[in-house]
Amino acid sequence: MNHLKQTAVIIILLLVFQANAQEKKYAFSIKGDMGIWYEGYGLDKNPSPAVPDFYTARKPWNLVRYSFNPTFSVGKWEIPMNFNFSPMITNFITPAGSKQSVWQFLTNPANNFGLRPKIGTTEFLLGTQTLKYSDLSTGDIGVFGYGVNLSPGKFRIKLFKGVSQSAVNYEAPTLPNPAGVIGAYQRNQWMAQLGLEKEGSYFTSFNFVKSVDKQNSVTLPPLSPIDPQENMVVTFLTTANSENGWKYHIELGQSFHTRNLNTPLSSVPVEDFKPFINAHTSSSKDNAVLLAIAKKGQDWEIGTKFKYFGAGYFTAGYPFMTNDLIDYLIDARFNAWKKKINVVASIGERFGNLSLTSGPDKTKQIIANVNVFTQFSDRLSLNMSFNNFGYDAPDLSGYKSVSNELSVNPSYTWSNTKMSHLISATYTKSTYDETIIFVTTHNNTQTALLLYVPTFFDKKISPDFSLMWFKNSAPSIDLSLFTASSGLKWKVNQKFNLKGQLQYNQTTMKPFTANKNLLATAGYEWEIYKKLSWQFSMTANVFKFGTELPGNSLIPVYSGNPQYFETTMRTGLRYKF
Amino acid sequence: MKKYNLIVALGLTLFFQVVHAQITVNLALNSRPQHWLSQWENPINGQMIITYMRGPVQGEAQVKLRTTLFAEGDNIIGASNINASRIYTLKEGVNLFTMAEALQLQNLVLSGKALTTLQRTGRLAAGQYQLKVEVVNVSGDVVLARQTHPFFITSYQLPKLMVPADGAQLDALVAQSLIIFRWTGLVPNTAELPTYRVQVFEILPGQTPMQAFRGNFPILDEPALRGTTQYIWRTSLPMLDETANQKFIWTVQTLDMEGHPIPTNDMNIKGRSEPSVFNIINQMGAGKKDKMNED
Repeated sequence: MNHLKQTAVIIILLLVFQANAQEKKYAFSIKGDMGIWYEGYGLDKNPSPAVPDFYTARKPWNLVRYSFNPTFSVGKWEIPMNFNFSPMITNFITPAGSKQSVWQFLTNPANNFGLRPKIGTTEFLLGTQTLKYSDLSTGDIGVFGYGVNLSPGKFRIKLFKGVSQSAVNYEAPTLPNPAGVIGAYQRNQWMAQLGLEKEGSYFTSFNFVKSVDKQNSVTLPPLSPIDPQENMVVTFLTTANSENGWKYHIELGQSFHTRNLNTPLSSVPVEDFKPFINAHTSSSKDNAVLLAIAKKGQDWEIGTKFKYFGAGYFTAGYPFMTNDLIDYLIDARFNAWKKKINVVASIGERFGNLSLTSGPDKTKQIIANVNVFTQFSDRLSLNMSFNNFGYDAPDLSGYKSVSNELSVNPSYTWSNTKMSHLISATYTKSTYDETIIFVTTHNNTQTALLLYVPTFFDKKISPDFSLMWFKNSAPSIDLSLFTASSGLKWKVNQKFNLKGQLQYNQTTMKPFTANKNLLATAGYEWEIYKKLSWQFSMTANVFKFGTELPGNSLIPVYSGNPQYFETTMRTGLRYKF
Repeated sequence: MKKYNLIVALGLTLFFQVVHAQITVNLALNSRPQHWLSQWENPINGQMIITYMRGPVQGEAQVKLRTTLFAEGDNIIGASNINASRIYTLKEGVNLFTMAEALQLQNLVLSGKALTTLQRTGRLAAGQYQLKVEVVNVSGDVVLARQTHPFFITSYQLPKLMVPADGAQLDALVAQSLIIFRWTGLVPNTAELPTYRVQVFEILPGQTPMQAFRGNFPILDEPALRGTTQYIWRTSLPMLDETANQKFIWTVQTLDMEGHPIPTNDMNIKGRSEPSVFNIINQMGAGKKDKMNED
């Protein structure tokens, strides 16, 4: 019933707004686009069926998506819409039942039904919204609901209520769905931001995000360990920019999290967070801090960031956030030699397991990158990059990994009156040493790539050619890969472009014979009318296994080499208003 | 003579059993219980068995529990408040209790770092502990039975994604043949190596990365060689085609030996690490030109 109420509120608001628009008879305009997009996938295997199944489908057989993204202007009203949805169920990470109700369809994270009518300093938020208040409160989750943004003078007030996870009943494993459906509680989310802003100068706000899993939202609740949760986060954010190029960012946050609402109410281990949350035995409370400072000059920029996330800091606005860490990062960018050299570099360190709940020692991670691009002349340029990642977890059994990667990429161009040529080579060497339970393995890879692109000034075709070699050496692994590919673009006329690509791969895992793979793609872009365009692309992928997968290892025994044939067809119609 | 001694001893034992009630406590605690103490109600953590044998002249069978928690070195880090303990009326025979009732988390007074860690995380620092449970009379001055049981507690930190880093730009000519994924290992190491599943989702036109992650079917969902933290994906995807395969979001799902996700704050994420996005750059040099233009 609540779903119906919420949907009704949205529809009523829409109708009120539309009625207003009609009564006033303001000037009307529309811009933006709409479209339909379809992908068809096919897979043929030989032998089929076979045990084990040596290749599984990696896409749904059919997938259609619709998009409708116009912005209506009616007098002083601006109404941007963002509808992007599919009638099909493709959920993998979030649960979805075998059939979805209208409410589940609207709140499915795969779909987006959002509109934001705006007049003056008032903006209404309806339907699906991905609202970023701050880095410690909420930002990357789509929430279906309603709200308002007000910005009178320097004040910034944002309020939103919605659903970030739809309710799905538990389904026991049965045929034809042997995995069953684990289920989920509906997660209701309330958000508020109260702030002050002077554009280009400062912004400061208090952010509040509360989420509750609605226990009666499912008739068959998910089995443990999926428990109903409650979460509340309060953060204080300030950003400021000075006239002489300094930028400041500070955010302090506290989270209050109950892992299981079925546990008893209790003031141990933490007290209630009144009036928002009553504490349970599974409640915890922790803090987070973000600090950043940067200075920008004419040809350079340098900045540093500091981050602390307590082990119990959790926000439903970023459910995948890693916590229990401190890290800092220094990054710099500058130009030199008359702007012919561009250097981008960063170095940082991260310490994890600060709470020592995952072992007796802290973990340590180092990240360092540098990229240098030099334009020696109009013809010759060179890009070099070096990356280092190190990770050390000195617990009793000791885990350590160090990754170093060096890449060199010179490019040379030359031309005459009829055509220009680009030749580019890239060589990358990467070493990855990993220590697990006192045993270190060395895993090295090398990649070499050669690209040639001729451009004809008086012809409508643009070909390109490339060769790639890759080698991976590690204990019991000696893998090499060779790829040759060529592409062609043909601008048939102003409205019609054809394109195609052919790629041949040979992958050898010693001591086996090579796997062979041919990938062919062809497609076109056609501007049917000034506002209507049609894209079409078809890919075929033929893969034939070498002795890495002998046919006689399958059941039933197959005498030849197993192979598969995969096709993907993508097409989309797009109409610009 | 020995026979007489034995008969006398048996007779005395029988006499005391008849005259006095007998209470015994047995802590059948899992040696590695769940790390969130609030989860100790789950049967996987074990149970406490109190056996009560009624005697002819014994008083009421009402008891309280006194719980004490020791860290390594027999340091007391917490004890229950006996005045606030619940009164149990034992029935004759076997009385079963959950480990949550033995622990009495609502009534446990922790001190020092243990208190801070529990308040912040709902857990204890990783290490060896001992749980002592005493069955006492209602006024708490007579110990009727006691048992101490050691246990080890640890929680896990999910891997962090290393390569491709978040926001990385990969060359389409290389990426259409292969992409190398690397991540850090599960902390702490487990005796039985975990399984890491690499999951990659294409971000379709008009989608946000998290929308694709939460709503799409993965284009790759494969396990890495058990225990290793690298996976080479032989993509065979047309990445030079500008209409498709331009943006991806990936993660690693960590599973234990039995295929269960490693527990985290929000079990809905099912052992998946914080995801990262990578983009495919269609033409060599395009990224470099952008960098120069920014200046």
